[in-house]
Order: sequence, then C-alpha cells, then structure tokens
Amino acid sequence: MAKRKKNAWCYVAAVGIVLLYLLPIYILLNLSFRSIQDTGSKLALPEVWTFDNYRKVFSESDLWTGFKNSILMVIGTVIIEIPISALGAYGLARSGNKVAKTIKTMNMSIMMIPGVALLVGTYSLMVSLHMTNTLFGIILLTAAGGIPGTMFMYVNFVVSIPTALDEAAAIDGAGVLYTFFRIIMPQMKAVTVTRVIMSATACWNSYLMPMYLLQDKSKFTIILMIKSAFSRINGVGDLPRACAACVIGLLPVIVLYLLMQKQIIEGQIDSSVK
Amino acid sequence: MGIASHHPFFKEYSMKKRKRVYVCLTIPAILFMFVFIAVPLIHAVKISFFKWNGYSQNMKWVGLVNFANALKDKLFWRSVGNTMIYGFGSTILQNVFGLLAALFLNKQFKGRNMVRVIIYMPIMISAFIMGQILYFFVQYDGGVFNELLTLLGITPVYFMKSGLSSTIMIMLVNSWQYVGLCMIIYLAGLQNIPVMYREAAKLDGAGRIKEFFHITLPLLMPSITTAVVTNLIGGFKLFDPIVAMSGGGPNKKSMSLSFYISTLYFNDEKAGYASAIGLLTVILIMLIAVPVNVWLQKREVEY
Repeated sequence: MAKRKKNAWCYVAAVGIVLLYLLPIYILLNLSFRSIQDTGSKLALPEVWTFDNYRKVFSESDLWTGFKNSILMVIGTVIIEIPISALGAYGLARSGNKVAKTIKTMNMSIMMIPGVALLVGTYSLMVSLHMTNTLFGIILLTAAGGIPGTMFMYVNFVVSIPTALDEAAAIDGAGVLYTFFRIIMPQMKAVTVTRVIMSATACWNSYLMPMYLLQDKSKFTIILMIKSAFSRINGVGDLPRACAACVIGLLPVIVLYLLMQKQIIEGQIDSSVK
Repeated sequence: MGIASHHPFFKEYSMKKRKRVYVCLTIPAILFMFVFIAVPLIHAVKISFFKWNGYSQNMKWVGLVNFANALKDKLFWRSVGNTMIYGFGSTILQNVFGLLAALFLNKQFKGRNMVRVIIYMPIMISAFIMGQILYFFVQYDGGVFNELLTLLGITPVYFMKSGLSSTIMIMLVNSWQYVGLCMIIYLAGLQNIPVMYREAAKLDGAGRIKEFFHITLPLLMPSITTAVVTNLIGGFKLFDPIVAMSGGGPNKKSMSLSFYISTLYFNDEKAGYASAIGLLTVILIMLIAVPVNVWLQKREVEY
C-alpha cells in the first residue's frame, strides 16, 4: 500500500515534467496547422485544420536551399571536427607530459571565450581569407569552434581505454597512427556516434556566425531561413507559415534524437564523468 | 620485429619516442585553434586600440580610450549586470532542478526513461527557435501564459515590459531549455557513487536527508564542478534566445555582453569599441569561471 502511494507520487511528478516540456512543441504544432485568419487562443486546437502552411513552405525554394546548405555545412563540419578532435584527444590523454598539460589548460580557456567576443577579429580574418559569404568559411569556423569541446569530451573517454592496448600494439611494431585508427578508434565507436550527433546538431542549430557571415540568401542555412520567415511577420503576418517552416526545420533533429536517444543519453553520461 | 622489440632498451626507447609522437597528434587541432581562435584574438587585441568603423581603410590609433569609454558606458554596465543574471541565474536554476531531476530519475519506475528523453530533448533544438516558440508564451497579447492567467481569473501580466523582467524571462527560458545538461551530469555522478556508502549510512541510522547532505552531495562534488562551470560559461555567452525573445529591448535593456558587442559592430559600426568590450568580456568570464572552478575542485573528495 505504502509502496503504491510512493509510486503514485512519482507518476504525478513525471506527468508534470512531461507537460512542462512538451507544451511548447504542442503550441508550435498547433499554430502550424491553422489558417492566418485564426488568431484565437494558442492553447485551443485550430478552428479549421489546414495543411496549407506546409504546402506553401514546401513549394518555396527557400526551404530547400536552406536544407541543402545546412546539410552541406553539417557534413563538412563533422568530417573536419571529429577526426581532428579524436586524434588530438588520444595524443593528449596518452602523452601526459608538460606540453599536453599546457594544451589542456589552453583548451579549457578557449572554451570560456564566447564566439562573439572575437567577432571583430573573426570577421576581419574571414574577409582577408575571402571566406565571408561562403559555406566553406562557415564550415572551417564551426569546426574550429567545436574542436576544444569535442576534444575535451574525447579525452574523458580515452583515459578509460587501457594503455596496455597501445603497448601491445607498439611491441608488435604498429606505428602511432596505425594504433589510433585500427585499435583505439574501434574502441571509441559508441562515443564517436554520440559526438558526431552532438556536433552535427550544434552545427545544424548554429545561428550567430552564419547570420553574420552569410549575406547571400542562396547561402542561408535552415535556421536563417526560419528566422527570415519569422521576421516577415512584423506587420503583414503569416505566423502559421513561419511555424510550419519551424516544424520542418526541427524535424530532422528531433527524429534523429528519438531514434538515437538511448545512444545519445548513455554516450553523454559516459563522457561527462572523468 | 619480434625478438628485437622485446629487448628492454629498444622498448624503453620506443615508448619515450612515442610520447613525443603522441603530442604531435594534437597538431591539426592546434593549427585549427590557432588560425580561427588565436589569430582573431590577436587581431581583436590590435583593433581594440583603434577607432575604426569596421570596413574603411581609415583606422585611428586611440590607445586605451576604448577601454576607458567602456568603463563610463552605462549600456556596458547594464549588459554586465544582465550577463551576470544570465550566468548565475541559469547556473543556479539548472543545477538545482537538474539535480532534483537526476535524483528523481535515478529511482526505479516505469516510464523513467521517457521522462529523461523528454527533459533532454530541448537541448537538441536550436536556442534561437526555442526562443521564438517561448516568445508565444510570454507575449502580452494572446500569449500562452496570459491565456492561462485569464483562465484562472488573474489579470494579464506584461512579462517583457521592463529590461529586468525581460532579462529574467529569457534567463528562465534558457534554464528550462538546458536543465537536461545538468541532469545528465548528475545522473552520471549518482551512478558512480558506490552503493556501499549509502548502505553504510543507512546502517548507521542516517535518515534520507542526512544521507543526502553527508553522503550523496559530497561524493557528487566532481559532477557539481563540471555542471556549475559549464553552465556558468554557457550563461555568460548567452546570445540566441535574446535575439529571438527581446531583440535586446526594451530600450537595449536586456542585452547580454555578447549581444551588445554584435550591435556595436554591425549596427553602430564601432569595431574598435566592440573589440575592446569583447576583450573585457573574455577577462570578466575568466575572472569568474577560473576561481569558481578552483574553489569547487578543492572541495572534491577522493573515494
């Protein structure tokens, strides 16, 4: 009896949390299915359900351009960021000498610098490299911004791989790179999947640098397309259409998350303890 | 290779050499950080001594004037204050609720995993989009919160009326969105605490509250360090939800330092001044985050 009462308390709390976290998603979906004329309560279901907003968004080339650019950006960033971070983390975790310690401290301090604080310097650098308004420039910048954090998470994991593995490989005459790719990387498969997903999502969601560096609409990422859909609301107002664009922009991330949730949450738990 | 590599001298030599090779593996990462972080930093330091609009050839050396102006700038201090609210406010809320969520979700009950998944979900969503959605909640006209208040018979509240209230609303949204980060860190910490400690406490007749404060909390210190420092840094850097929810307003009164820097550079064309404030921001964050990190680390117990 007492046990059941305790559990009942658990379920009440659980339902409360779920409501608190799903309400915004509900509001977004709800708004995306109504017509422009329907300006009633945001909590109540639409007076008339309509798919027009989605039809409108899909028929515009903006969304597809945004999708294409975001996908290119994600692929480019992940391809650069992940191997470089994993390799660096392996080197850091294994060498353990003074240089490595200095690099680790540097890594921590870099993580404390907000991207905007260096905005003027970054922008000038991109101008001098002729990389403003190019996806390539954004890719390099996003990868560089992600490396310290990703490397940090990898280090937490590499230290848990026994050094006996490396020593055995060394005795068999395997070089450091061979050891890394053939022996260490396979050990880090699970954590790499998590890191790829996290970096890809961070990249998909990034807003600040793309906003300042990409001026040309043909270069806009999905988030910038959504932003411009929302900013057109002022005055004329097609809120439902903007919401539909929002739903479509979120969908890939949410679907990926729900499919991989076990892996993501366990991977995050593994790499967040020293 | 066989026999030769088993010779003690050979092995020692190769391991020592390997150590050096290991450090070399970080070269690509360092190169990236050098070009895209160190070079902009050096550039920013240089620009901060100039009066410059950001694009013309005309740069005027002004020495420390930009820094001196910042100290006299009301908007700068306002942004510093707001940044503190964003940083400390979010850190406190996220840690308290993250820890509570972790303690709760460390219990065994059906559907526990689903709750974890749902709390973590907003972290995957763009902070800018989350800000846009949450703006529908805090709006005065037709906002979800006001709709709920009206249902309860309470007069609607102007949530984004003043700078302070806007700052607090944005801070709340940011905290709500990232509670899951803390939850994960604390779940990891809780799973690492050996069961025997808790059992020993129970045998000694410690109640639940005593057990929590004397056993769980001290053993969670490493997690607390990680959670506090990462959230502090994250909060100090806040940018996206401010753009989405208040645009820095009303009257530029809910700006964070990050937001102020970007308006100075791109709207006011004060590149030199923006650069100086950027550097002051970096110094400020380090002056707070580093001592907090050291202070917390001292309190970690070995077990």
